[in-house]
Amino acid sequence: MAPQPKTIAAYVAAVVLRLSIFYFFPNIISVLIDRVEISTPISSYKRLLEGLFLFERGVSPYDGGVFHQAPLLLVIFEILPPAAIFTLLDVLNAHNLTVIANKLRLPTPRFQKLDETQIATAYLFNPFTILSCLGSSTTLVTNAAVIQAVASAAAGNAFGAMFAIALGTYLSLYPALLLPPLILYWAQSKAAKLETKNTLSLLSLYAGMIAILLLVSTLLVGDLKNFISSCYGAQISVTDLTPNIGLWWYFFIEIFDAFRSFFIGVFWIHLVGYVGALTVRLPEQPLFVIIALLGLVTIFKPYPSTSDVSLYLGVLPLYKHVMPLTRYTFLAASVLLYSSLLGPAFYQIWIYAGSGNANFFYAITLVWSLGLSMLVGDSLFAVLRDEWEMLRPEMRGKEVRQI
Amino acid sequence: MKCLVSLPEALWVLLTFVSCLSIVAATDYFERLDLTPLPLGSLLASFEFRSNESLEAYASQDFRYFPRSLGQVLQHAGTKELHLRFTTGRWDTETWGARPWDGTKEGATGVELWAWIESDTEQEAMRKWLTLNQGLSGLFCASMNFIDETRTTKPSLSFQRTGDHRNASLHLLHGVLPGKAGVASLLDGHKVFDASWQSMSVDVRPRCVSGQNCLVEIDQTIDMVLNIARAKRPREDPIPRPVQPYELICDETKPYHSQDTCYPIDALETPAWSLKDVFGRPAAGACPLAEEGGPEAKSLCLNIPHSQGVWIGAGGFEVRSPPGEAEKRCYQMIAGEPFDFDMPKTSVRTHKQIELEEELITAERTMTGHGAAKGGMRTVFTNPSATEPVNLVLFESLPWFLRPFMHTLKAQIVESEFPFEWEIIKDLYYRPAVDRRRGTQIEVVLSIPPASVVMVTYDFDKAILRYTEYPPDANRGFIVAPAVVRILDKADASGNAKAIYLRTTSLLLALPTPDFSMPYNVIILTSTVMALAFGSIFNILIRRFVAFDEVPENKIGKLVKSARLRVATLKEKITGTKADKTE
Repeated sequence: MAPQPKTIAAYVAAVVLRLSIFYFFPNIISVLIDRVEISTPISSYKRLLEGLFLFERGVSPYDGGVFHQAPLLLVIFEILPPAAIFTLLDVLNAHNLTVIANKLRLPTPRFQKLDETQIATAYLFNPFTILSCLGSSTTLVTNAAVIQAVASAAAGNAFGAMFAIALGTYLSLYPALLLPPLILYWAQSKAAKLETKNTLSLLSLYAGMIAILLLVSTLLVGDLKNFISSCYGAQISVTDLTPNIGLWWYFFIEIFDAFRSFFIGVFWIHLVGYVGALTVRLPEQPLFVIIALLGLVTIFKPYPSTSDVSLYLGVLPLYKHVMPLTRYTFLAASVLLYSSLLGPAFYQIWIYAGSGNANFFYAITLVWSLGLSMLVGDSLFAVLRDEWEMLRPEMRGKEVRQI
Repeated sequence: MKCLVSLPEALWVLLTFVSCLSIVAATDYFERLDLTPLPLGSLLASFEFRSNESLEAYASQDFRYFPRSLGQVLQHAGTKELHLRFTTGRWDTETWGARPWDGTKEGATGVELWAWIESDTEQEAMRKWLTLNQGLSGLFCASMNFIDETRTTKPSLSFQRTGDHRNASLHLLHGVLPGKAGVASLLDGHKVFDASWQSMSVDVRPRCVSGQNCLVEIDQTIDMVLNIARAKRPREDPIPRPVQPYELICDETKPYHSQDTCYPIDALETPAWSLKDVFGRPAAGACPLAEEGGPEAKSLCLNIPHSQGVWIGAGGFEVRSPPGEAEKRCYQMIAGEPFDFDMPKTSVRTHKQIELEEELITAERTMTGHGAAKGGMRTVFTNPSATEPVNLVLFESLPWFLRPFMHTLKAQIVESEFPFEWEIIKDLYYRPAVDRRRGTQIEVVLSIPPASVVMVTYDFDKAILRYTEYPPDANRGFIVAPAVVRILDKADASGNAKAIYLRTTSLLLALPTPDFSMPYNVIILTSTVMALAFGSIFNILIRRFVAFDEVPENKIGKLVKSARLRVATLKEKITGTKADKTE
């Protein structure tokens, strides 16, 4: 389905905004590239350039402590100009979001057909999206893969969905967590019954894609062992403790050495634990499981950035019909606003002014995580209540309790 | 520290050990002291002690002129060639001119060690290297055991073998320990080592004459720049005191000179001095082991113009070099007779000074940027020559927590009188750091055009460490080892290739620091946030919805209800009785 003229206007406005800042205000770009809120050790554009520099000179970029990103990115950024890539990916994401929005049909009476322009605009003009795009965070490629996977699943395209999610997994691992709800979502949109046979064929498709991607990478850099340990090892075992907006870095600076491996395990199990719980509790709404998981990943992954937040805030409006059922949106929004303004300020006074210490920035990351988890929890409550109201329509607008 | 023998003592012990033992061919031992007065009342004293051992005797541990303790360590670690440097202070090129020994006997501030180790594999070489470091650490009482893998590099362009080796499977390893305890503390209390700059070196290398007659040579040098006025302070009263106003010598030619304004000119004058003044005692006479005749026998030399007078005591003969460019005089001492001389006071204005050799190039390395998260490294090279370009290798060994970005490496000409285009960076050898395992190694081959100032820059990120990885004084910063500059394509007078080295000063790197008092708080607070998220989400997930009025009563609810009822009745009673009273 062709996009509406209004939506196309939004795309054009977004492209013009991004490209004009890329080309006319390079100072802003160079500041944003260095911000810890945008660039993490696994998504920093500066590190990508360093990897590219080594790669182009025939040195393995993984035989060092700087570059932890997938080899495919090297090839993409070797060929294409970065401004064009990031801008196009943003528009592609917005377009895929409109595809999902147009396909979305939910049985609840609260649901109304989504306005694709609204969805696209909410993604494209979200300040977090703009900042991550201008800050050239390579997480954007992962985000594109995730959204593409969901859009393909919505269209019932198994191959596309599995390829995109395999690409996401290959780039930053965590999209593997989205596999169970994604398969459910594909089955739901195809109106097919999910049997062991087609699940297995989907999983083998996924594994095959991953194997192909790894094979291609090995052919590109010829250094599989170093690539795996530097790219995925760094993401799993959090070797680089550069500050970011997440919860891991300060914890693993301060943790006692004897407990380091134990707590890395605990943190990962905690994150993985949500997948099963949400998928089992909401089998009818796999799209919302994906949305909630994206929110949780943003809070609990080792190197989160504003780019991950922009993905979550981009997909959340797909469920805007549950908005009237939420309870703490004002509080959550205020907390997010407060911490996104104070975070850079506290980082500044820790690193540059020296008038504060690491605890200032750490405290803000705690508040930020609390705000986001409030948003995730609240939207989850609203969706569950909506499901319950479908069972008991007379309870609409009444006070409820959970026991 | 329990170590009592300091390095200088170790050296002296070693030497006396040599001079008290057997009688052998005199050429197996050589010693020499060169004294060069420098401007502003300084004196460069260069000691050199060299001895040989035949390879067979060395292999069978029949040590005569070679220190047994060192020889055994080297043999145990399979080390074929060793270069060890202890340096402290900064050589002031602008005042003192070119470095002694062309910088080849000088190390980075702190301890620097490079060695060729015989082994079949790299792992074995690394293992032997660590053994060597630990052995030397005990021998020289310096914390060289801290030269671990992260401080070790394998330079490819900057260091060359100086010995004659037959075996090809040798691995070069280079380690620096910038500014660690060791040298400074070792020298405490020694007047001789109260120097503005000093460098000690030990070089062990095999040498073969005509491919047959192989020797193992150990060469030890101590170079220091002494401040004569400070060295002359009496031992029993070493506290410096301000000069009394009536003792001040003023430059009366200055326009502002008056009764109460003075430009002191004492710095322009070198006070009178003798060996006893500077070193605390006169020379003890010629060493019986050193050669008795010939040029090598004159073991004490003074690099001053012939026009300058020196009063020598009994116990030595003066031999002057032919008049010319580098005028010097040497003294042949008599064994067993103490020897000293008196150098009269000299002034810049009345005495011709010895011409200082100019350094081929000067290098300065600094860090740029502010803040604890990132910065830049800047090395500025100045080529003073009007005609000759200088080719050099810049060697840097960086700690892993300094993450350089080589794509930002840039060399630019800052100022130049040289009108042509010039390709500055010729070659780059780069081995990136691996976190906690290996440091960065950068070797850049540069060409500096004549009469130019060239700036080489790159950006870096500063890593944040685990809190146990910081030293106790974390906010002081980490010392980054000096860069080594090796000047290429230079030949000595006879046309042989000549090694010239210089080193920049070490740098202090400030890293972002966490709050060291926080481990428990952080564990508790982060866990609380995670527990809140986990708790609230699973709470929502596992409970079922009911309408408010359908909530079944639980025990606490019942208790609260009955308590409320009782309070109400009690209240009623009280108000009721009250009402009765008022009625």
